[in-house]
Amino acid sequence: MATAFNALFEILSFTSIMVLVVLGLGIIASMMGIFNFAHGEFVLLGAYFTWLGHAYGLPVWLAMAFAPVAVGVIGLALERLVIRRFYDRPVMAMLGTYALAVVIRETVRGLIGGLYLNVPAPLVGSVTVDGMEFAQWRLAIIAITLLVIFGSWALLAMTSFGLRVRASLENPALARASGISTKAIYAITFTFGAALAGLAGALVVPIFSLFADLGLRFLIQGFLGVMLGGAGSFVGPILGAGVVGSASAALPWVISPVVADVAVFVAAIGLMKLLPNGMLAGRRV
Amino acid sequence: MLNGGSTSHGDTMTAPGTKPAPLAGSASTAPALRRRLPLVEWAVFGAFAVLPFLLADFLTVFASRLMILALLAISFDLVYGFAGIMSFGQALFFGAAGYSVALLARDLGVSSVLVVLPAALGVGLVLSWLVSSFLLLGRHPPSVTFVALGTLTAAFAAEELARSWYYLGGQNGIPGVPQLTLGHFEFSDLAFYYLVFALFAAVYLLCRALVRSQFGLALAGIRDQEQRLGFFGYRIDTFKTIIFTIAGAIAGLAGGLYAYHEGFVWPSMMGVVLSTQIVLYCLFGGVGTLIGAVLGVIAIESATYALSEQLPTIWPVVLGIILLVVILFRPTGLIGLVVSERERTGDFGRPGPGAPRGTSSDAA
Repeated sequence: MATAFNALFEILSFTSIMVLVVLGLGIIASMMGIFNFAHGEFVLLGAYFTWLGHAYGLPVWLAMAFAPVAVGVIGLALERLVIRRFYDRPVMAMLGTYALAVVIRETVRGLIGGLYLNVPAPLVGSVTVDGMEFAQWRLAIIAITLLVIFGSWALLAMTSFGLRVRASLENPALARASGISTKAIYAITFTFGAALAGLAGALVVPIFSLFADLGLRFLIQGFLGVMLGGAGSFVGPILGAGVVGSASAALPWVISPVVADVAVFVAAIGLMKLLPNGMLAGRRV
Repeated sequence: MLNGGSTSHGDTMTAPGTKPAPLAGSASTAPALRRRLPLVEWAVFGAFAVLPFLLADFLTVFASRLMILALLAISFDLVYGFAGIMSFGQALFFGAAGYSVALLARDLGVSSVLVVLPAALGVGLVLSWLVSSFLLLGRHPPSVTFVALGTLTAAFAAEELARSWYYLGGQNGIPGVPQLTLGHFEFSDLAFYYLVFALFAAVYLLCRALVRSQFGLALAGIRDQEQRLGFFGYRIDTFKTIIFTIAGAIAGLAGGLYAYHEGFVWPSMMGVVLSTQIVLYCLFGGVGTLIGAVLGVIAIESATYALSEQLPTIWPVVLGIILLVVILFRPTGLIGLVVSERERTGDFGRPGPGAPRGTSSDAA
């Protein structure tokens, strides 16, 4: 019983990380219609800045707070310089963002070498409930993810800024005609998405440690999540990430990890084949 | 039934005057349009034919590596440059075929060229047929993103599997692939070089004929105006599956040769990094011309060969920046420097009755 709860907890915390990664990816995919291959590298950058801040003597939690800001700034710069040229050219966008990803990943690899660098978690120890131990940091990740989801949802659904974002998503031409600067909205959204990836990277670095290929597996799982949930809605990618994340965290308890990974990938692609518009097709949320 | 569909469409497309017959017509317009593409092709193949006599031995080995990678790049150019299918997993077929021939050599002791090459070709063919019929065929036409993601995931998963599968040697791959043989004859350096050269030339010529055939023209139509071709009644998915399968077979052949060239196979041979490296070759050299992909391989691999030792950490970053700059500012690649836009995208020296072609900016 206790192991079952512990397993459930592990699965939940990993799924939260996936949701954080996918939230940014999904927002960018829905808004601009491009799949950002550099998203995994934004996660990597978040982890890198956290490590850097920590190495320069900042407290870990401060380094973690600083990482999303730094990644957001980089995201903004890249959007202005590069990404904006790729709107409504999805194939070129994939290749272009992939090239960006290579540049970022190899730069980080050059900076840290082929090492695995560790950053301590800001919260060490665990909470014991009824004889079961829950690592505090994983609890914190789950809590932060819930907060971020709620915050993003509130921003999109309840503020006038969110209204403008949704308008630019639904019908960019009409939004522009109504005096909304879609250019600015796109830039802000991309920055926000990048910052979310940076946050995810900052939060996971105590668990996964920092290495140059950190981003790639998040990227593929994130894509599968977005495609499965369906780009173009807020809930879809989260739901997709929940499915992919929990499946790839749960299956290794049953079968060997590698087979589990491959099984999740195949199942996700197969599901996508059946539901090409995502699990929420037709029900726009 | 599939083939029946495509040939009948091919026939209906042969409108009067579109046939290669009016060669006389093309000759009359020829002075206005000097074709440079064949010159580039002759230069590349001529150079490869005489290289072993000009270069030191180790550079000959390097040149045979170039030709093998060029085969791989051609296979990507067929799917992306001519049919607009974004395959981020071309290395999957390459690596799987490499592993197959390495297993043939290790477990069955077979290294005869008569078995190895058909086996490599076959593995690539079957695997790419399976992948493409899953990704491309079906009730809903697949989106570009879905195909890109599907191929990417397939390559990633295959690499993971190979990495952890003891039978396949895990991280280390399979070492000790012997030399190719034919009876008692062993293909050592020079013989191997000319074997690769012969295959490279043969495949290139076949592909060249293929993309200039009615089938190739239909593919180019699909790349440029998929919806319109669909309205004309072409079975777009079938066409795409056929070209993807052919390209997969070529990638498989290249993978089999590569295993024998390197003497071992390892997991990254079928992974994401190599797959995207191929994309870089083609974009850098120029997509949609076949020879552009070859030029891309030569340029990038030579530069890597020359520079990667001096700049081991910077070089991958530089490659990424090159790719980005090419995508942003020079979508036609290297070949666009020597060959005019019209010839590059165009009718391959067969100006049809409907003279100017539409733009193909998005696919190129």
